[in-house]
Amino acid sequence: MENIYEVASSNKRKSFLIIVFFAFFVGLSIYLLSQALGYYWGYEPGGLGVMGFALILSGLLSFGGYYFSDSIVLTISGARPADKNRDFNFYTTVENLCIASDLPKPRLYIIEDTATNAFATGRDPKHAVICATSGLLDKLSRTELEGVIAHEITHIKNYDTRLMSVVAVLVGTVALLGDWLLRARWRGRSSRDSGSAGAIILLLGIVFAVLSPIIAQFIQLAISRRREFMADAGSVSITRQPAGLIAALKKISQDHEPLEAANKATAHLFIVNPFKDKRTSSVGWFANLFNTHPPIKERIAALNKMT
Amino acid sequence: MPTTIIIGLILLVAAVWVISTYNFFVSSKARIKAAIQEIGNQLKRQADLIPNLESSTKGYLTHEKGIFEDLTNARRDIANAVESGDVQKMADAGARLASVIPSFKIAVEDNPELKASEVVTKLMDELRDTSDKIMYARRLVIDLTVDYNVRRVTMPSSIVAGMFGFSELPGLITPEKGGHTEVSEAETKTPKVKL
Repeated sequence: MENIYEVASSNKRKSFLIIVFFAFFVGLSIYLLSQALGYYWGYEPGGLGVMGFALILSGLLSFGGYYFSDSIVLTISGARPADKNRDFNFYTTVENLCIASDLPKPRLYIIEDTATNAFATGRDPKHAVICATSGLLDKLSRTELEGVIAHEITHIKNYDTRLMSVVAVLVGTVALLGDWLLRARWRGRSSRDSGSAGAIILLLGIVFAVLSPIIAQFIQLAISRRREFMADAGSVSITRQPAGLIAALKKISQDHEPLEAANKATAHLFIVNPFKDKRTSSVGWFANLFNTHPPIKERIAALNKMT
Repeated sequence: MPTTIIIGLILLVAAVWVISTYNFFVSSKARIKAAIQEIGNQLKRQADLIPNLESSTKGYLTHEKGIFEDLTNARRDIANAVESGDVQKMADAGARLASVIPSFKIAVEDNPELKASEVVTKLMDELRDTSDKIMYARRLVIDLTVDYNVRRVTMPSSIVAGMFGFSELPGLITPEKGGHTEVSEAETKTPKVKL
């Protein structure tokens, strides 16, 4: 048995370590790739110009998605605002859990879909949105729903939308730079005098161009899975009832319907992986590498240990 | 001189840290105060629901006069406690009301006409929701107080707490002795359910 405070701080520590590792890796790849590109373009000093350009481009692309993440949900087909009388349990549990976690009440939406899922988004707690499917609200009891909502509220409290957007920008930058380097037309540049050093940088750059986008994505998914464990632990520290979330996860995992409104960019924000493809049923660390969410079995095991 | 710059930088970092730690303690105090007011707020909401419940059920539950008397008394206690602003009084009054509600619920469940009434179901839902809200408001006071008290005694924030003389906050007082810490013999037995 683990104390909920210990679980929370151990989760924070692990999450911090992964993020530091990610930052280091991305920094190294971006540096190497821009050095190689800079060399290729005959644009020697530092190569920061190339890196800066890649960062700005990929940043602009992702920033829109991040900054307007709460309004984008409105464009998802069929999402309607929740109503206190019609969706009494959903509305009031969110109100209650916001009292407990000292957050402003997020805007609430419902997707009319029989799939059972819920997600949270928005750039900060003031612009947060929680969205649940009508299937989820129909199938879960109030206690189970509390567990799920508390999970989403923890995502909001931990600024997970912000974190995952920054991570996505960085992964995008690495992929963009790698792409440029691989698409570059390779002609002889023998006139260069710093021959061997430049060749090594180019070679390293090509190796990184091939490998680093994949590795960066794996780390991105590892961060996403770690944040899920954090949100589960956070849910228990708000409700103090692991049983509610466990029962909800079991119910949700029995439902194999994919959610049409989900896409790859928002998958990490849902309570369980919204795609529910065949891959999630296979076990083992290799299958796990490709998932935004840890397997439900592992999540339940972790919840069972909490007191 | 690089040494003076380094010393200056260290001093600057230290000052920023002291200020932010001081701000943590001060804002924690303000948040705890607000959270306590929230408890009173929710208790008042619960007390305000009761007259509605009474008027919509009284006609059916004529033989349950005792329950209504208890409800009215508990309600008056809450109103007085909220007015006084004393956390402990509020908590006590809330507990008194919470102890009446189960027997009221049973009376409603036993009466098929009431059970079927949409108004009563809605009011009972509201009542349950409000007691959840009170529970979570109390949880927030407890969590914030723990945070504050832990930071007050652990290094290095305890240095700042000592410097400005921040005292320990009681949060919600639960008596450390009394009925709730003891387990009676009857409670250790597995409950038997007759079907």
